[in-house]
Amino acid sequence: MGSRAFMVLLSHRGAYINPSANAAQLFLTFGQSPFSPVKKKCLVERRNHRTSHNFSTAANSSLEPPNLPRLAETARISLTPDEVEEFAPKMKQVVDWFGQLQAIDLESIEPAMRADTEDDNSRDDLPQIFENREAIIKAMPSYEEPYIKVPKVLNKE
Amino acid sequence: MLSSIQNPRLLRLSTLHQIPLRCLQTSTTPVPTPSSPQPTSQILRIRKSLLSRETTAVEIAKTFLSRLRRTEPQLKSFLYVSPEDGVLKQAEEIDRRIQNNEELGPLAGVLAGVKDNICTSDMPSTAGSKILENYTPPYDATAVKKLRENGAIIVGKTNLDEFGMGSTTEASGYQVTANPWDLSRVPGGSSGGSAAAVSAQQCAVSLGTDTGGSVRQPASFCGVVGLKPTYGRVSRYGLVAYASSLDVIGCLGSSVADTGIVLQAVSGHDKFDATSSKQGIPNFASQFIPKDYLDSKPLKGLRVGVIRETLVDGVDPDVISSLQRSVSHLEDLGCTISEVSFPSFSLGLPAYYILASSESSSNLARYDGVRFGNQVFADELSTLYGDSRAEGFGSEVKLRILMGTYALSAGYYDAYYKRAQQVRTLVQKSFRAALEENDVLISPAAPSVAYKIGEKKNDPLAMYAGDIMTVNVNLAGLPALVLPCGFVEEGSSVLPVGLQMIGAAFDEESLLKIGHIFEQTLQGYSFVPPLVGDDF
Repeated sequence: MGSRAFMVLLSHRGAYINPSANAAQLFLTFGQSPFSPVKKKCLVERRNHRTSHNFSTAANSSLEPPNLPRLAETARISLTPDEVEEFAPKMKQVVDWFGQLQAIDLESIEPAMRADTEDDNSRDDLPQIFENREAIIKAMPSYEEPYIKVPKVLNKE
Repeated sequence: MLSSIQNPRLLRLSTLHQIPLRCLQTSTTPVPTPSSPQPTSQILRIRKSLLSRETTAVEIAKTFLSRLRRTEPQLKSFLYVSPEDGVLKQAEEIDRRIQNNEELGPLAGVLAGVKDNICTSDMPSTAGSKILENYTPPYDATAVKKLRENGAIIVGKTNLDEFGMGSTTEASGYQVTANPWDLSRVPGGSSGGSAAAVSAQQCAVSLGTDTGGSVRQPASFCGVVGLKPTYGRVSRYGLVAYASSLDVIGCLGSSVADTGIVLQAVSGHDKFDATSSKQGIPNFASQFIPKDYLDSKPLKGLRVGVIRETLVDGVDPDVISSLQRSVSHLEDLGCTISEVSFPSFSLGLPAYYILASSESSSNLARYDGVRFGNQVFADELSTLYGDSRAEGFGSEVKLRILMGTYALSAGYYDAYYKRAQQVRTLVQKSFRAALEENDVLISPAAPSVAYKIGEKKNDPLAMYAGDIMTVNVNLAGLPALVLPCGFVEEGSSVLPVGLQMIGAAFDEESLLKIGHIFEQTLQGYSFVPPLVGDDF
């Protein structure tokens, strides 16, 4: 297979990561995708002079940076102002790092949900009695037979 | 896959001198051998001494328990230790069965630790988080159920980074585990407790979980064997979910044979886990040929591919030397070595973190303080959720949930999650192609040896970078074995280095066969930490 030969013969730079360095000093260069053989030649030419990516510079991205308070509300986690201050730069750093995936040509690559799966291995959709119902009830913080107690829901409008 | 190149003489010898293992339902007469060789595994050693009446299960249990008690204040591998009388009672039952010549499971008398994100109905299961403090599940995980059915005694629940998110156990909600080789260093993670417990022989074997390397990296840091099975080989029912498309339950032991025997016990399709495979289970426990019966070139014809991208700048040069020595050792055993290149190798790391954070943001939504776990008082429902989660989760977990929430938000899914899924396809294809040309691929298990506690705590990217050797294997769902191959000296400490071997899907058999031969023929190393010393 052409792409396999391409993998073995091509000289390229892999990942340079110094685990003991400060994140700002980490550099990452990408290898090349062998899976668009028609564009192979152009890819090699375009990428030969790619510069290393420094983690401290934002990757090329037109997406808005994370809005932490809004995300915290969506995720239902009450963050303190200190936490917002602590997390925001870390999140930005990691999200910028995620951004390197924007720069790769992934056209015509099927997304994989997980490792190769077999045909349907589900069991029949039939109800079964669970023997240890008492233990489930015991684990509930606030239970008043037959209700699980929670405080009222307040509409925010 | 190996059978086509195996030496036929070797094959005949192995069936003659195979050490018999009794399965639950078969007859009990062992195959007579002229002189039974010394078993190569601790499990087999225990079994032999029990059946020959040389010792009792109670004595073995007491030895482990006393070593556990002695070392635990320094190591802190366990979040929960089973009460001693319960453990001894189970051991007594095994002794009674031996006395009456009754059936014995393959793991009879073997003390096992279980990582605390795997449910046990008679012990708390916290997943290392305060949000599940004192939570006792209403059922046993399938893997735990199988261990018990095979006769193992569960000695306790081991420490981990909260919900499996971390590489050192520093993100545990309860305690930090120390590396038995140097108490000022991390044992690795997230299965740090499981690895440290086996390394210090507080238990004979343990179960861990591996989502991005969490069995393999701590195995490397602690000098024990860690086996990550193929995704789907072991049921995830009862495993607290972190990233459902990546999580697997793995085995840790002091020898390759031990991890194979444990894998044998816990593998299999489970109707309660639709992602568990219906693939047949070969006898993982039956191919451990004693050293004396090995050919001079027992791995002749085996094609080994060294992953070039794992030997670059940024990887500790001493780790690279260890790997090179391992390559020579494999060559001596008859392997053909070549270099393999993975152009998409470095992309695996951000792709992994996008997928894992995204899936975890969904999986951890259930911890809302309502049906289980700790609840914070609030007079309004969404505050109840918000405050219970804020109080119960540690910082790393919050960070990953928020990152996952971001990556999955409307408008961002295509840019992050979908692209990460596409990288997953690339990684799968790369491995498949490489494994057509090679029987097994090798790399270091981690870019360094164990580092100091606190060294990477505040730098998420530096910590994530340490997973570079392991995450691609999870993306591809392949099996991998890590075994200790050498040491690195750092200051006054001597720290173990792990070799990682990656195999084709569902081919744990080859990995175990090769790993066992590598281990048995490795000269001049003892992987017992000084902390344990002569006691063991």
